[in-house]
Amino acid sequence: MNAISFQKVSKIYRRSHLGKTTETVGLDGLELDIPEGEVFGLLGLNGSGKTTAIKLLMGLHLPTKGEVETLGRRAPDVEVLARIGYAPEAAYLNKTLTGRENLRLFAALSRIPRGNLEKRVEEMLDRVGLAHAADKRLSEYSKGMLQRASLAQALVHDPELVILDEPVTGLDPLAIKEVRTLILWLKSKGRTVLFSSHDISEVERVCDRIGILSGGRLVKLMSQNEWRGKSDVIETAFATAVKRTDGVGPIRME
Amino acid sequence: MQTISAVFTYTFKEHVRHKAWLSSALFGFILLGGALVISALGADERPRLMLDLGLAGIEAITLVSIVFLTVNLILQEIESRAIYLILTHPVRRSDYLLGRFLGTLAAAALGMAIMAALHLVLLGLYGWWEPGRYLAALLCTLGKAGVMGSLALLLSLALTSEAAAMAFSVFFWMLGHFSSEMRFLADRSGSAFIKTAIVAFSHAAPDFAHFNYRDFWHATAPGAQWLMWAGVYAVAYAGACLALSVQLFEQKEF
Repeated sequence: MNAISFQKVSKIYRRSHLGKTTETVGLDGLELDIPEGEVFGLLGLNGSGKTTAIKLLMGLHLPTKGEVETLGRRAPDVEVLARIGYAPEAAYLNKTLTGRENLRLFAALSRIPRGNLEKRVEEMLDRVGLAHAADKRLSEYSKGMLQRASLAQALVHDPELVILDEPVTGLDPLAIKEVRTLILWLKSKGRTVLFSSHDISEVERVCDRIGILSGGRLVKLMSQNEWRGKSDVIETAFATAVKRTDGVGPIRME
Repeated sequence: MQTISAVFTYTFKEHVRHKAWLSSALFGFILLGGALVISALGADERPRLMLDLGLAGIEAITLVSIVFLTVNLILQEIESRAIYLILTHPVRRSDYLLGRFLGTLAAAALGMAIMAALHLVLLGLYGWWEPGRYLAALLCTLGKAGVMGSLALLLSLALTSEAAAMAFSVFFWMLGHFSSEMRFLADRSGSAFIKTAIVAFSHAAPDFAHFNYRDFWHATAPGAQWLMWAGVYAVAYAGACLALSVQLFEQKEF
């Protein structure tokens, strides 16, 4: 069974200003199935449609055309969100709360029964290494600590499907290694993981399959046996497949 | 229910930690200044003037606070993107709005309680002690706060601009004190269209006459039935505004 299914999905952003409407293509006819238990990496330049695809899965956006399914249910579906964990590219957390209060909030929102909630919160704080800072407000956390708090809220309810939007962007090498370990641990537990990234080497190390997005279209789909034991396969495929759509030219320093 | 309660709790904490209670300190200064002026007047007038000044101060500060807090309530969460993480959990948008609104109203009620305690101490020094009548006045102010808060929330979602929502809220707040005058104007109008428009407008705007305890404040205390109808009006008006807010909020993409 597919954990995620995009069926000819298009997303067009329309903006009106002073009577003039401009349209931007976020996704253009995306067709992609991700089976349960797979670790799938979405690669692409800025503006290629990675975050749009993730927001469609999470019900933050509605498709202009086509259908999106998560865990067999048509998105947006509030009930299915209880089985999905999501961490955005930055830790968009309410900084007035402490680490513990923040996790307690998301545990309650994820419908963890009250009797089990405190135990689960403590366990998760310990797992992400924030137990010692649990009573500090998030406004006092470093970037790395916030990233951990964000991962904790995504995993507190033990989701079947984990969606991580650029989880290694801006992290130090040690934190990147920890995220990699986390993804591999989720894989070992049979969870489905979808993550977007710019980092080809990370994708190469943990993914079963990758998809390359460019201009809202899926331009390349590769599986692990195509790059395992070979060097620069994904990088070459990426450079060949993508086109800049942000109007920026190449850097020429010769 | 667990969702509403979780959103309510974090909203309440957020307001308390953002020092919404500082409005009570402002009220303390108003009382002190008022007491100095009143001390120059005749002894028999002092309790009445202190009572009127204090209740007017509580009402003004509460209404300004609730409008400011509710106008920013959702827009700031959208701006900080904290809303991404809330709505990607199994949270109905109606539950989220209700929890946010009730948490804000509770924070405003806490501020009112602190101000009322200060006020009652001072009134006690002047020899005035009628807690039943005082409580009736506070309930009327809370009813007004509920009505204005829900209207400000609706306007913030409809206009998506804090400044515009605040300006319109103040406009409706002023209009709410002239509902009988508007109906009188409608009766005098020769045009059926203008008459219908004014009547419709007077019903759409809040009618604060329902909370005007001062009409009989210095004669007899408002009866239980009068208070009940004020409560019914507040719940019905706030309910209608919240229902419309949910309709608007359901359409939003983030």
